[in-house]
Amino acid sequence: MHDWRSVALGSLSVATGLIVWYLIGALNLVSTDLLAGPADVWAALVDILHNGYRDTTLAQNILATLGRCLAGFAAAAVLGVPLGLWMGLSRMADAAINFIIQFLRPLPPLSYLVLLILWFGAGDLSKIALLFMGAFPTITTATMAGVRQVSAQRIQAARSLGATPRQVLFFVVFPASLSTIFIGLRIALAGAFSSVVAAELMAASDGLGWMVFSASRFLRTDIILLGIILLGLFGMGLSRTLVVIDKRLIHWRGRE
Amino acid sequence: MTRPWIATALTASALAAGWLWLTLSGAVSDLFLPPPRELWDALLDLLQNGYKSRPLWEHIADSLIRVFAGFGLGAAVGTLLGLLMGYLPIVDALAAPFVEFLRPLPQLAYLVLLIIWLGIGETSKITLLFLAALPVSAVAARDGVRNVSQARVRVAQSLGASEWQIFRHVVFPSALAEIFTGARLAVGIVYGTLIASEIIAGTTGIGWMILDAGRFLRSDYVFVGILIIGFMGIALDRLLLAAEARWVHWAGRQ
Amino acid sequence: MTKTLTTRRRLLQGAGLGAAALAAPAIVRAAPASANFAFFVSTSPFMMAKGDGSIEQAAGAKVNWIEVGSGAEINTGMAAGSMDIGFGIGSSPTASGISQGIGYEVIAMMDNIGPAEEMTVRKSANIKSPADFKGKNVGVPFGSTSHFRLLGFLETNHLTQRDVNVLDLRGDAMMAAWTRGDIDAGYIWSPVKSKMLAAGGEIYKTYDKLEAAGYVIADLIIARTAWAAANPAAVAAILAAYGKALETYTKSPDDASVIVGKQAGVTAAVAKADMAEYDFVPLKTQLTPAWLGAPGTEGKFAGVLKGTADFLVGQKSIRAAPALSAFVKAINTGYLAKSVG
Repeated sequence: MHDWRSVALGSLSVATGLIVWYLIGALNLVSTDLLAGPADVWAALVDILHNGYRDTTLAQNILATLGRCLAGFAAAAVLGVPLGLWMGLSRMADAAINFIIQFLRPLPPLSYLVLLILWFGAGDLSKIALLFMGAFPTITTATMAGVRQVSAQRIQAARSLGATPRQVLFFVVFPASLSTIFIGLRIALAGAFSSVVAAELMAASDGLGWMVFSASRFLRTDIILLGIILLGLFGMGLSRTLVVIDKRLIHWRGRE
Repeated sequence: MTRPWIATALTASALAAGWLWLTLSGAVSDLFLPPPRELWDALLDLLQNGYKSRPLWEHIADSLIRVFAGFGLGAAVGTLLGLLMGYLPIVDALAAPFVEFLRPLPQLAYLVLLIIWLGIGETSKITLLFLAALPVSAVAARDGVRNVSQARVRVAQSLGASEWQIFRHVVFPSALAEIFTGARLAVGIVYGTLIASEIIAGTTGIGWMILDAGRFLRSDYVFVGILIIGFMGIALDRLLLAAEARWVHWAGRQ
Repeated sequence: MTKTLTTRRRLLQGAGLGAAALAAPAIVRAAPASANFAFFVSTSPFMMAKGDGSIEQAAGAKVNWIEVGSGAEINTGMAAGSMDIGFGIGSSPTASGISQGIGYEVIAMMDNIGPAEEMTVRKSANIKSPADFKGKNVGVPFGSTSHFRLLGFLETNHLTQRDVNVLDLRGDAMMAAWTRGDIDAGYIWSPVKSKMLAAGGEIYKTYDKLEAAGYVIADLIIARTAWAAANPAAVAAILAAYGKALETYTKSPDDASVIVGKQAGVTAAVAKADMAEYDFVPLKTQLTPAWLGAPGTEGKFAGVLKGTADFLVGQKSIRAAPALSAFVKAINTGYLAKSVG
């Protein structure tokens, strides 16, 4: 039906891309010294699976990057959602804190990486802090927006039925703002994944980003490309996972 | 209920007091948190003498030009692509794998490849920003087209409107709200990628300035640079919000 | 309605726990390891001592090896107190760090760089004299010892950064720029240097005149003062382990090159050629006044660091350079003396 047609076209598209990539190297449009071909990248993958990369296994690097990303993201979500709920409901909390959040939000994380390393050391803590600082303002802002657009009618209706403020929060406000919160979570996760690679630029000893930068120092474009492909696939995977969770949990979004 | 601005003032003064106490009492070394006096001196120094023999406004301008060029091209091409993807399932099927792969791909990772292909000049930097903005704009435009109310389209069709007229008067205005949301997201991403792009060859740009100062642990320049970047970012976002308010004023009416 | 809400919440909780489980290793790792040593991946005998575990054994603790790409990263890590020893930091970032009062001291030298970092020019650019550099693009990693040398070259030949276009390029970016023809020259070390030479480049000798003019550059071993004071036996043992690797290289360079090549990811031949260009000053020689000097005495190298710092001040890279005495104090050869004695 329509679906297998788009899968077929998509695969055709990807296949064409792979062929163009192969030809660039084979026809020497760009020397293979500077741009490894598909065969080289495959060979690098096999080599790393067997022998590791500089005393790190591929699994170790993947887990390190994903672990940092999720740690920073989870911390930002666990702190950001409740804070955003509070700020959305309380004008005083909003006035007290929002200006800090709105200043942090457009700040590119890489600009303060050096400061974070100075404050939190050259280990994982500074990297997780970086991811947290990037994700937290987005999640908080989205939660606030979600709370604000909850229909006042619903809240009134619940109150008139005798619900306590706590029950209103849990059974009306929170579920109604979930869809907006999830949009914020998806954006924040994408940002966190991007930042984790940037965080692995300095003083890192493992991770997919570290692997790419380490390889670039020695001009191993095959490993660079391998790293990029893996990063892209995992990035897509993370995105997809959140989308699936979103669809499963928030299926009433269209019904408003 | 007391006025909210009192709360803002309270937190702001608490932060300022904390900053002063930490730095003046010597509890924290200047390297970690420069005192206000140092930041002020650094700002004056930058305004008067520039950074590494180029005036401050030149660094800011260079960064802004890159942001606008990269975002402008990326958002324009991306939106066009997205509109096509929304209208023609074939285009969607062909382009989707690349867009979906590019979107979550961390920019710094493929920066090296761009240098290899495009050299160390402005081209590679702006291309990086272009590629950062493109997927988000495309997806936003595509979703905007898809979410157009079919009822509206049918009404227009029954009134005898041509395909182009339907697009111009129903689909596009309706999608504009999502396109603008995508644009704001794209600016944020581009702005973040800007720092990454200024890590490579070049001797200008506010992002480069922070990185270079960071190399020598000139925390005062780093802080001032971060503040400048922060305010620039807020200004950019406000600019887009204003544009959105002007052109998408019916978005609320749905 | 309530039932589905609870299920949904359970699902969310489950997802949260799953994420936490995945993230847990990262959080646990955030706690510091027993000893944090920073290093560069390079072709040098040090890689042997690292690779065969002798340094870790000497340290008597689990070593967390942190790979860095620049001396600036080591400075940042040291300032944060999260690095204990830095292997191979350049003299230029070291002078910068000492001037800024970062709490570390020089405990040994790794090598005197000499011709190992040099200017490679494109043959077709026809550069024969300093004046020929006017209007050309020269790449160099900013903040490195090569950068220091290049700036010294400009200074001693009365060229400004408006005459010559100096670009901040790391190794891989420089290689790409070279291949594309975007730069006419590059001042850097191998492997990029040898790759540029192989691709239409030739050496433009600057190091001899620059060294004579005082622009000496070296790679050093530094240690966080507090940590070294708390672990003096370990520091001496680590330096002894390094000394042993150095001896192995001196006695049988071919065998050493095989091991080093493997550690650095290059062929043995490349490793041998690269290492031949460095002057790996033997530990005993480092204790003479020509270099670091015996414990409690002043060696010539303190003056080199001071000169480097003054130059950086002139470049406005650092704010101020302390007096010579600060640099003398920052060189502590006590552990070195113990390791050879």
